Amino acid sequence: MSPVEIVLVYQSLLGIYGDRGNAMVLRQRLAWRGIDATLTVVEPGDPVPSTGSVYLLGGGEDAAQISAVKGLKADGHLFDALDRGAVLFAVCAGFQIAGNTFTVGEQDDVIEGLGLLDVDTRRGPVRAVGEILTRWKRPDGSEYLITGFENHGGFTTLGAKAKPLASVEIGVGNANDGIEGAVQGTVVGTYPHGPVLARNPALADHLLERALGRDLEPLPLPELDELRRQRIAAVRKTGTRR
Amino acid sequence: MPSSLSTPAAPASLSRTQRLRLWTAVRLGDAAALASRLAGRGSGASIRGQVLTRLDPDAFAELLQGHRVLAVSGTNGKTTTTHLLAAAVRAGLGAQAARLVTNSDGANLHYGIASALSQQPRADIAVLETDERVVSDMIAHARPEILVLLNFSRDQLDRHHEIKALGRSWRRALDAAGASGPTIVANACDPLVVWSAGTAARVIWVETDTVWHADGALCPACGSLLVRVPSAGRDRWDCPGCELTQPASDYRVDGGTVVLPDGTTVTPDLQVPGSFNVSNAACALAAAVEFGIPVEAALTGMHTVTAPAGRFATAQFGATSARLLLAKNPAGWAEALPLAASDPVVLAIDSVAADGRDVSWLWDVDYEQLAGRTVICTGPRAQDLAVRLSYAGVDHRVEPDLRTAITGAGPTVDVIATYTPFQALLKMVGLR
Repeated sequence: MSPVEIVLVYQSLLGIYGDRGNAMVLRQRLAWRGIDATLTVVEPGDPVPSTGSVYLLGGGEDAAQISAVKGLKADGHLFDALDRGAVLFAVCAGFQIAGNTFTVGEQDDVIEGLGLLDVDTRRGPVRAVGEILTRWKRPDGSEYLITGFENHGGFTTLGAKAKPLASVEIGVGNANDGIEGAVQGTVVGTYPHGPVLARNPALADHLLERALGRDLEPLPLPELDELRRQRIAAVRKTGTRR
Repeated sequence: MPSSLSTPAAPASLSRTQRLRLWTAVRLGDAAALASRLAGRGSGASIRGQVLTRLDPDAFAELLQGHRVLAVSGTNGKTTTTHLLAAAVRAGLGAQAARLVTNSDGANLHYGIASALSQQPRADIAVLETDERVVSDMIAHARPEILVLLNFSRDQLDRHHEIKALGRSWRRALDAAGASGPTIVANACDPLVVWSAGTAARVIWVETDTVWHADGALCPACGSLLVRVPSAGRDRWDCPGCELTQPASDYRVDGGTVVLPDGTTVTPDLQVPGSFNVSNAACALAAAVEFGIPVEAALTGMHTVTAPAGRFATAQFGATSARLLLAKNPAGWAEALPLAASDPVVLAIDSVAADGRDVSWLWDVDYEQLAGRTVICTGPRAQDLAVRLSYAGVDHRVEPDLRTAITGAGPTVDVIATYTPFQALLKMVGLR
């Protein structure tokens, strides 16, 4: 069997918040389970492979967003891969560009995104900066807390085709409306970094299970449980509850 | 034309009222500093500056008057470069060294600079470490003769949301200063620095050993993807979309040596470690020479710098001798990690405002290079580091208490700390 390919897309454009960590986490969690996995880092100008199982987009500044959209549209392979059933996990600026439209610059120029998520992003009344805690309903119906750090000026609203990823307990989330992230088919967008898959292993495994089409055995890591305990306690102590 | 060293600064011109208000504010600031010292709460420099600038909001601008100013800014290496430059100028001044004032403690905001200046009213030459956010005010108020711009990279993104915004403010300030603006000494290898200095009347370019390129992917001027062009020596960067390109250098770092504009090569005999400090020294040397200091005197002066504001200091914690390294952001870690050679090695992480509240940057740092050694994770965010190291395959243990982490590490150890634990360590051993 060929190795599972994790594709980190345009790290030098969309990787400002340690976003490559999400890719490292996905690859390593497969490796720890004895599943052969490779990490492909695609830089702008390089062709995007269409063979990936999970594609990752991270955080970046305005000019990087425009450049990334241009590059991905011209390349086209990401769209092919998603048609085949690959998973796209898009964080922060990556979440915004995966949507229909977003804005950049002091004049709030509207830029057309990749159109993979039925969401639109406009400049919010305040910048959302701080620890965030959300509740994610897992496919089995159980609830899982997602802990992360959000830092975004855009507020994102969902269209009919996109469903929320989680509900906000503490923090701003999409638009200070109690909603966090978006899910549409195999495309998942979210604001928290941290990186978010490092702090939330169940979400990482969920993405892998979606991509592989099968369940993965649990992977106990007590120090990760301790990190989650600390971060959840810290945000509940200092954060403003919705 | 190099400015002559013997030229005194133009005297300050303040009204009677301004002088009286400034004098009062300085005296009350001194009193607050004394009270702080007596209470055992450190040097009092910070509280002095805060009282001083609160009582006289114009103190920063007023105190800068009457000085010939050399300023140093950038994301990393400000404090060390300021010490190197001050030492070079001091050596050049010889018997007149008392003319020099500098904020050697690294307090580089308005109040820190005001505090340092207020303590040496007779000095007329100021070498000033300047926070990136204070650079435009420095250009407007101090009319510095020389401004050193070292580098620009992601740092405290929870506060500075856009790296380029600061560069934009520098461009505006330099543009407004026009021909009376400073001579810039700048790192030619950093596209954001080059763009930020683009409106300066005169620039001396230094080709450095920059190792961090992650924040220079796009052209700051037009947004095109920058390309790296192979050339003799190291690659050069170029923008295919506009005219921005790596400028030809006046000074060039080549291994441990610095090639001067006339082609001669000098070897700075530094007591601070790392190739990045050779780059810092090259920038300090260029600034010193521009100010009129002979190369030999500058090198002699820079040799005396050992542990600028505690950086690279070796200190005793119980039976453990620890070398203290500071790293505040991914670019800083990329420089500091290769220096930390001990096994185990202690890494201290915090996330209060001065460190940046978001520790996602831990995943931008190549901790994988520590594989085969043991890391002792300490500080309030030790657990975040522990998880990072697990994924990196690096052996580690967590010891949240700083002192215990160090004393439990054996007879000698290298410690890399973010800003807040670094300051705490200096205080523990009386270096602050």
